[in-house]
Amino acid sequence: MSLRHNQPILQFNKVEFTYADHRAFIDGLTFSLANGEFIGLLGANGSGKSTILKLACGILRPSAGSVSLWGKSLPAYRNKDRAKLLCYLPQLLDMQVPFRVRELVSMGLYPYDIPPGITVHEALELVGLTDKPDVFVTNLSGGERRRAFIAMTLLQEAGLILLDEPLANLDIKYQLELMKLLKNLQEKKNISIIMALHDINMALHFPKVMLIKEGSILSFGSPERVLTKDLLREAFDVGVDVRKDKTGGTYMSYEKNF
Amino acid sequence: MYKVKISTVLVIAASITFISLFLGPKLINPFALSVTEKNILLSIRLPRVIVAALVGSALGASGAILQGILRNPLADPYILGISSGAALAAALGLLSGSYLFCTFSTPLTAFIGALFVSLLVGLFGWKRGGILPERLLLAGIGLSFLFYALLMLLISISSDAEMRRAVLWIFGDLSLTDWSLIPYGFFLIISGLLLSISRAKALNALMLGDELAHSLGFSAHKERLLLFIAVALMTAASVALGGTIGFIGLLIPHIVRFLIGADNRALIPVSALCGGAFLCIADLIGKSIMHPAEIPSGIITAIIGAPYFLYLLRRKDVLTP
Repeated sequence: MSLRHNQPILQFNKVEFTYADHRAFIDGLTFSLANGEFIGLLGANGSGKSTILKLACGILRPSAGSVSLWGKSLPAYRNKDRAKLLCYLPQLLDMQVPFRVRELVSMGLYPYDIPPGITVHEALELVGLTDKPDVFVTNLSGGERRRAFIAMTLLQEAGLILLDEPLANLDIKYQLELMKLLKNLQEKKNISIIMALHDINMALHFPKVMLIKEGSILSFGSPERVLTKDLLREAFDVGVDVRKDKTGGTYMSYEKNF
Repeated sequence: MYKVKISTVLVIAASITFISLFLGPKLINPFALSVTEKNILLSIRLPRVIVAALVGSALGASGAILQGILRNPLADPYILGISSGAALAAALGLLSGSYLFCTFSTPLTAFIGALFVSLLVGLFGWKRGGILPERLLLAGIGLSFLFYALLMLLISISSDAEMRRAVLWIFGDLSLTDWSLIPYGFFLIISGLLLSISRAKALNALMLGDELAHSLGFSAHKERLLLFIAVALMTAASVALGGTIGFIGLLIPHIVRFLIGADNRALIPVSALCGGAFLCIADLIGKSIMHPAEIPSGIITAIIGAPYFLYLLRRKDVLTP
């Protein structure tokens, strides 16, 4: 499929969405993303991060407005064609499945009739799981399981990867490893990644951050511009400050209120 | 290695099905057939083996599919109430004296009942534009209890001998099979099998959850509906052909998963073949060991299958759909 590289890879145009139980909402969300971006979607619990990702990949349909992918309306894609351009990993990957790592990873080829190039072994190499192709997915640790699913999306060869809170429930070591892995992949393969997260510290490491509150964009841009005390207070309702130190590490301070 | 494993299982299953033609209370030597033996083989043994193979295949494949779409290792084709609905329909048909279709009456009413219940359970399980696994499971269990209660009520108020015979038939009996029903059963079960095998990738993806299935390019609602239709066709046909035979739909898929893994592209066809072969053995044992009396195949399947399953359960560490 030929992709027009000057097109925005993902575009939200006045998107509105309300759940059936009137919980949470997206009200007139508009933004567009260029190819090759690595974006942190930051917001408090219930701010609409997951909803935005689900709208972006078509799991949820907007009640008004439109979502387009490479300049074409999302519902106009056939399921299989969309899956070659865009993939989504939900937050919870703890489902009880009887598949081995190799079987799971190879499912990334399902949208294709002819495998597009990267092999299961190469994908496992990229995520550092070459020693576990025959292990059952259920027997992996949380971090390994996350990486196995990322290997699956690599086989899918999609240009845009949406990750819903992949860092949640991981030790700091695995959080940093996963960030490194994603950053490497993003640069090496020139793919775009949007990652929902609620860890303000980690958001500092993204080239661009989209700060969300109640389903709308509070601020969008470089972390220095977005992660200010005022904006963070508005988004999280807590006095909080984050900074980078000389080594590039981050520290966060917050007002104790208990 | 994987292919060798699958081929081995397939060859064993196919050989068992074939050999069971010549075994039984009376052994038949395929190389020296007398006229009587040829008659026995063609008009009694062959249809019975075909029915056993068809019913077993339908149950084995349906079990594998349902455990996948319901994401529940305890699912089997009967959990959705399809068999109890079929039994109730057959009983009602007999009670109201509908001998309209002569030899077909009981299987036909059972089949219509099974399809009707499938539709009902599908409707109860339907919400937000598709079948939801949890709803489908609960609807099936609810309907199942209702139909069994009504069936028991019918049995308890009826003294009709014909009725009792039908109830026995419904609970798994292959002794009355002949050629007449086989073409219909064959068509329905093979259609269901082909439909489900063609959707096996989608079933693998569905087992990861609807959202991941979507991400991999499948419409979860559409795929689940197609797989459910395949299960309904196969289960309805198998109940109409051979009544309710336990164990196969629940445990054969687990045994096959232990042996060859969980990829549904292999699991569905291999479960079908193993289910068929297994019911052939069970039927062979059931009709031979207390000859001329017959033990219903459903009892044999459980008695020889369950210990093997428990043995595998001790040795391997995976028991998930």
